[in-house]
Order: sequence, then C-alpha cells, then structure tokens
Amino acid sequence: MNSLSRLFASLSASTQERHMIELLELNEKTGRFGLTLAPDDIKQVMAARDETLRHYGRLELGIEATKEMIEAFAESPYITQDHFASTLQELHEIFYDLKNETEDKIGDAKLIGIMKDYFDNECAGSLELLRSKLEAFAAEFRIEAMQSEQLGEGEDDE
Amino acid sequence: MNRGMTGKAADENRSLATRSGIRPAALKRSQYTLSLLAEGQRTGLLDSRDVSGVQHQFLLLLHNLIRRHTQGESSSVTTETAEGLLASAMYAVDAYLWSMQDPEKAIACLKTTDIVTLHAEGVEHVRQRLEETKRLYHKVKTQKLDVPVDAYNTTIDESLPIFIKKYNILFDARNTMASIDYPLAVDDMSLQGVFYIKQYLEHLRLENQFCRQWEREDVLRLLKNLGRVCKFDFRIELFNIFELVFQHALFSVLAGGDARSILMTPYQYERLERMFTDAGASTVGTMIDKAIDRLLEQLPAQEPGTKPYMKTCCRDLVRRIVNAAENRQLQAVILTNREEAVKPFVLTLDTEDRMSDVRLRRLLDDIMRSESKEEKVRIIREHFSSLHDVLDLLESDCLYGDEYEALYAELGDMDLAILCKIVFYEELRGAFVDLHDVIQEKQEAERDWQNRLIAFLKRLDDSRIRAIDEWIGNIDYEQLHFY
Repeated sequence: MNSLSRLFASLSASTQERHMIELLELNEKTGRFGLTLAPDDIKQVMAARDETLRHYGRLELGIEATKEMIEAFAESPYITQDHFASTLQELHEIFYDLKNETEDKIGDAKLIGIMKDYFDNECAGSLELLRSKLEAFAAEFRIEAMQSEQLGEGEDDE
Repeated sequence: MNRGMTGKAADENRSLATRSGIRPAALKRSQYTLSLLAEGQRTGLLDSRDVSGVQHQFLLLLHNLIRRHTQGESSSVTTETAEGLLASAMYAVDAYLWSMQDPEKAIACLKTTDIVTLHAEGVEHVRQRLEETKRLYHKVKTQKLDVPVDAYNTTIDESLPIFIKKYNILFDARNTMASIDYPLAVDDMSLQGVFYIKQYLEHLRLENQFCRQWEREDVLRLLKNLGRVCKFDFRIELFNIFELVFQHALFSVLAGGDARSILMTPYQYERLERMFTDAGASTVGTMIDKAIDRLLEQLPAQEPGTKPYMKTCCRDLVRRIVNAAENRQLQAVILTNREEAVKPFVLTLDTEDRMSDVRLRRLLDDIMRSESKEEKVRIIREHFSSLHDVLDLLESDCLYGDEYEALYAELGDMDLAILCKIVFYEELRGAFVDLHDVIQEKQEAERDWQNRLIAFLKRLDDSRIRAIDEWIGNIDYEQLHFY
C-alpha cells in the first residue's frame, strides 16, 4: 500500500526518541524486580519488535503492547537481568504470532496475561514450552470461536 | 453501459480547473487528498513541511482509529486492517475536501486545519450522504418496475438493503460492500462507497421514472422480444431495461410513430432499415439527436437530468446501429414485435397421454363452473397436454363466445397448425394450397369451435399464418387419421 508506506516514512525521529524515553521511564518500575533496560537494549528490543511486526503482517503505531509486556514479565521469577532484553525480543515474537493465530479476538492485556500465566506456571520460564503451549491454546481457541459463531448463526436463522 | 460519464462531478471538476492554476487531470476524485498534496507541492502552495505534517497527522489519526476499532483492547492490527482503516479515513477527508468544490481552498484547508478536524467533518459529510442514500432507496423501492428480471429485482430487494445495513462510515467507508448485479445505462464505476451507491440510485430512479411512462404489458412484450431475438431467457440475463425502452421509443419516433409506442411493427422496422442502411455515424448521430428532441416534445414531463442521461446513453447506440446496419443485423438492435412462434402450451399427439374419462369429466365440470375466461384458460393450460383431450374439450361445447378466442390465443403455431389441419382437411389437400387463401375463403364449418377458430385465424397477420402454414407441412399426421 503506497499511501501507508509513504506515511510510515514520515515517522519522525522524535517519535522514536519519545518511545525510548517512555521505555527508559519504565526502568523505575521494573528496577524493583532487579530488571532494567539500557538504551542499547531498548534499541535492540524495538528493532526486533519492528521486524516481528513486519514478519507477521501487523501494524502498531504506539508501544502500548511493549510496555505492558515489559511490566508484566518483569514480575516473573524466571527472568534475570542477563536475559531480560533477549527474552523480551522472543516474547514480542510469540505475542504478535498469537495475535494473528487468535484472529485478533483477544485483547492485548488479556493475551499478555495468558502468556505470563503459562510462562510462570506450566512452562516454568521455558520459552520453547511457552510457544508450544500457546500454539495448542490458539488452535483450541479457534475451534471454540468457530463453534460459537455457528451457534450464533443458527440462532439468527431461528 | 456507459462508464465514462461522471455527470455533475465532471462538470464541477472542469469548472474548478478553470478557476485555478492546478492541473485538473492531476486531481483524482478517488484519491483527492493525496493528489491535492502532490499538486499543492508542485505549484508551491504547499511546502515539504506542510506535506510531512499532514502525513504525520494521518498517522496519529490512524493510531486513534486502531484503538477505536479494537475498542481500546489492542494497539496493533493486521496490515490489511490498517490499510482499510486508513483508506476509510482518507475517504472521509476526500469527501469533505471535494465538497468544497475548490482545490485551492481545499489545499489551504489542508495547510491550516488539522486532519482530525477534517476527518470529523468528512465523517459527518459521509453520514449525510448515507441518509440521503437511504431516502433515495425508499423512493426507488416504491417506484420499482413490476418486471420479472432477476438481477433488477435482486439488486433492489436484496443487495441495496445490505449496503444500507452494513455500510460502515468510520472504519470501512470506501467499501461498496454490496453485490450490485443490475447494470445501469450510465454508471460511473470510479466512485466508491456511499458515493457510488448514491449515484447508482439516482440513475436507477431516473431510469425507473422514465420506464414507468409505458404500459407494463408493452414493456414485458419488449422484454420477450429481446429474449426471442437474443435467444435467451431475459429473466436471468444482465441487461438494462431503460436502454431497451428508451431506444425503442426513439426508434418509434424515427419511424414516424408515437414515442409512447415501443413495439415496432415490421413496417416501422423496414422504414428504419432504409434510414440506417448506408448512413454514416454522423448522420445516425444527427437522427438520434433529433429523435431525442422529438421524444421529449412528446413526453415533456421528465426528471431533471433526463436529456443529458439520454445523450450519454446514445453514444453507444449510434455505434451499434452503424455496425448492425453494415452487417445487415439491424433486427438484433431494433426488435420487431411478433407473436411468439411457439408458446409454452404445446400439445402432444400421442394417444397414450390422454387423461382418464373420469378426470376429463371432472375438469370439464370445473371449466363450466369457472366464471371468467381467464380462469377457464388457466385450467386448460395447467391440465390439458394432449391434443386429443383438447379436441374432446372443444367438442364438449363447454366454452362460449370469446372464450374460444382466449384459448386459441394461448396456442402455439404448431397447435394451431394441427387444428387447421383438422378443420381444413379437405381444403388443404394438395401441395400448393395456400393456408391464407383457404382461411379467407372458408365461410362456415360444422361446429362452433371451428367457426370460432376460422374467425380467429382471419384476424392473424400474414407472417403468423405463414408460420402456421410451415408447421402444417412439417407435422406428422399419422396419429390424426381418426379425425
């Protein structure tokens, strides 16, 4: 889409700077759990996030989801400072994949909550396991959604 | 169908261009804001900072729309959704800026007013057009033609209501979201969303109003003639009714007849054929132009805009006439009115198809008790398929007076040929006997139904008698020997 590409090109450096500041400010909250992101970490996380969005054919103009993910996962007992930035990069990939696989039918906050719950409990901090659990979750979710749609259509017919 | 005309919009565009230095060809109705930005920058009315500012504001607007679209639950959407939302936002801004009817003013607006405000104005503008479209639809619905043309009926009864119900001003305004099958005579398909449907309904209303000036039976007969000539079932084909009616009203005027008569006689056809043969496009064009004026003199009470609509509709007609005349195929353009060669009511000759005596008596009783000839004919059409049963019916004297004629009018050429063969058996013996002469010379027959048949046949035109005569020569009468 030409007009969209043109508009993207107009995303100014000031916007990126604003995002950087917003994420650095989060360090105050996450620092309580011994986790912080340095400017270079943030650049890496944001670059990985942009690449993931492109890969999954999605668009996000703000960074609300990123902020929610950082805040939620900073509380996890399984994340250490050494792996904070790299874990966040992978979590972004899992998150946007899951958004597509659940066909945008689950809101960001709820989806992040589900991810966090699996990560902290059944997966015990394993990203590999998290991927596979969420894959099964998405498949089941789609079946349920389809059944409820069919039920709705049946009721409409009546 | 003519797609080139943009009507008022085109005129507006032209007049706008004369008032400003901006190239009119560079301003696209479907991408008005983007083309204004490009032209504004080219002419120096906008600088690169203005353009970047507008683009950035569109991004902020999109950000906001994504939030509203996901009801605040998601900050990201698929690229397709984002594209749709942005297209919808631009559609609204385009609508507002286009409504200013002045590109310089619109460019000034882009420079001084923020996009969120322009978008809000645009959404309101689109909403108003949707309300107008709804009112227009109700008018079209109440003035709908009573014709068995599927595409016409489905478009009005099903597709247009779907659009009105599902059109989403905020998130999907550019989408026309309805399957509009019925083709208009003049249709600007470059329009999108509510502007397309509004234009469609305006044109359809004009077409309906025009066609309602003729008797329904005449329009139906014209449709049947079209089906006969094109050898298709007009009920399921895609064609424009207005074009057909209007063109035949024009032909009638050109052939020296009344615009109110759309059923061409063979004589009128021959006259038109002489006029069009060897006439070039410009001559035919002049003839058509004059015919439009004469038509409007005869039918002065027309909707505003009817004349230009007719003129646009005729661009294609002139070319079709010239081509058809060159290829000696004018009969495909000028439909002459003819009785149907073979009606659906076709009798079988096989004695195996006869009904039982009990059933025949019951039906004869029903026919006797029926009060109208239409009802009697309906019973016969529905229940009698064997010639032998029909002959029993005729011999039973359960029809009276013009009821015979009503029944004969329903029979096809082949059925009438069989009855002729029975009534004129002696007279038709010999290879070179002309049916027309036989009918005219026959004074009286034995039975009432036969006398009624002779009177009916005497009123048929020569071409129909010739068609019946051809059948007489082709029917196998082996099974009629007992008559």
